[in-house]
Amino acid sequence: MTASLLVQSAVIGLSIGSIYILMALGLTLMFGMMHIINFAHGAVYMLGAYVIYYVFFQSGAPYFVSFVVAMVLLGVFGYLVERSIYRPVKGGIEPTLVALLALTTFLQAAGYPVFGQLDKHVPPVFEGTKNVLGVMVSVERLVIIPIAAALVVGLYLFINKTKMGAAMRAIEQDKEAAALQGVNVHVVNGLAFAIGFALAAASGALMAPIFKLDPMMGEQPLLKAFIIIILGGLGSIPGAIVGGLMLGLIDSIVATALGAEPAFLLSFVFIILVLLFKPTGLFGYAQ
Amino acid sequence: MLDVKDLRVRYGAVEAVKGVSFSVSAGSIVSLIGANGAGKTTSLRALTGLVRPSSGEVRFETASLLGRAPHEIVGLGIAHVPEGRRLFPKMTVLENLKMGAYRARRQKDIASTLGMIYEHFPILKERGRQVAGSLSGGEQQMLAIARALMSRPKLLLLDEPSMGLSPIMTAEIGKIIRQINDRDVSIILVEQNAMLALTLAQYGYVLETGSLVMQGNAQELLRDEGVKKAYLGI
Repeated sequence: MTASLLVQSAVIGLSIGSIYILMALGLTLMFGMMHIINFAHGAVYMLGAYVIYYVFFQSGAPYFVSFVVAMVLLGVFGYLVERSIYRPVKGGIEPTLVALLALTTFLQAAGYPVFGQLDKHVPPVFEGTKNVLGVMVSVERLVIIPIAAALVVGLYLFINKTKMGAAMRAIEQDKEAAALQGVNVHVVNGLAFAIGFALAAASGALMAPIFKLDPMMGEQPLLKAFIIIILGGLGSIPGAIVGGLMLGLIDSIVATALGAEPAFLLSFVFIILVLLFKPTGLFGYAQ
Repeated sequence: MLDVKDLRVRYGAVEAVKGVSFSVSAGSIVSLIGANGAGKTTSLRALTGLVRPSSGEVRFETASLLGRAPHEIVGLGIAHVPEGRRLFPKMTVLENLKMGAYRARRQKDIASTLGMIYEHFPILKERGRQVAGSLSGGEQQMLAIARALMSRPKLLLLDEPSMGLSPIMTAEIGKIIRQINDRDVSIILVEQNAMLALTLAQYGYVLETGSLVMQGNAQELLRDEGVKKAYLGI
């Protein structure tokens, strides 16, 4: 593998890793606070990509506007899912998981009649290539990195510097104690759903111009995000970031060197090794 | 100030509180004593909305508390220091205190309450940037009480504040409870340490397996032969 190929696949790895991170952050946030795994995360990613198809490509709105529309629409959807699924079962974990699985299946199945049987394509948004360390990399891939980084920093500041963010951390540490301080736990959980869904929508929206669109397109990134939060430590935000970058780089560099299947295999070998030595994941701790 | 009438709480098939009535008058310390499983903690949890009673009536000042969520009840002026302290272990001491003032709107109010808290608990100012999980048991209990005071409650519910503390620390907590009460905060004190509870309180209720078996002036309860034998170990 030549140096230039290595640089190129590293940059692509960073951009794929950024998408993984955005997916994993919402999952890990929701798990940390509510101990639920959002199976619908992949379907939300898919919906985020379709919003780009319809609002950007079909209606001709600017890409940035369509991107924000995807995040807001699916963020609101997330809040409504908390209200209509999580809240009525009063924190019951199993019923929530079953309901989220049902929602996922419904959204994917409904995708075919609503969006059509054929794959959809979104034309490139950022055309051309850019010189990175002497290697030409497509701008479409490159631009994902700063956008994802901005979202990650925004989330970090929100969680650590705002009152709502403090309420989220409080719920993660002790839900009942948070309620006793005056936190409306339902509203803050709803906000976590909204943030998780909006970040998944952002991932889908960023990938829409790169991959073909079909109703099942969210399954692969969902699986990757599961792997990342287990690798990084369930509920850990730094874990999701580091895990996402690692998996993105493995996926890209090993795939370039050895092919896609060995890369897929190797990512699992890597996780098994990490969990052998640290069963709670890289940044996890025993609850 | 607080009137509880015929409170009943069940966990599945088990009735943990079987029709308990008690009341707290403004400015007083009232104590609930009893053995493990007597229903003391469950009674407190029912007052602040953490468990839903199956029947009964709870009135605080003019409001009925039944069916209200915990965050609304804090807003009415009742703060609850739960059993086991329940701090946010990964947050700093200061962050824990600020969570206590979650419903306060004005930064100025929070700052002045914090100043008052630091006057009473200078150790918490010193430890401000330390995470709560790293404090000693006594310091954690002080922080739990201080966090509750940050909401400027009219009524403070304390669940086993002496649990796991040394005799010296227990005496210290006792002194703090008195000081809080001197500032016109009414207190319900739940304790297995009946001696501490009845020394601090003006009035006491004795619970046994979910029912009220005795009540009276705290001084009288301290002298009662049955109470002495069962709860004071003398």
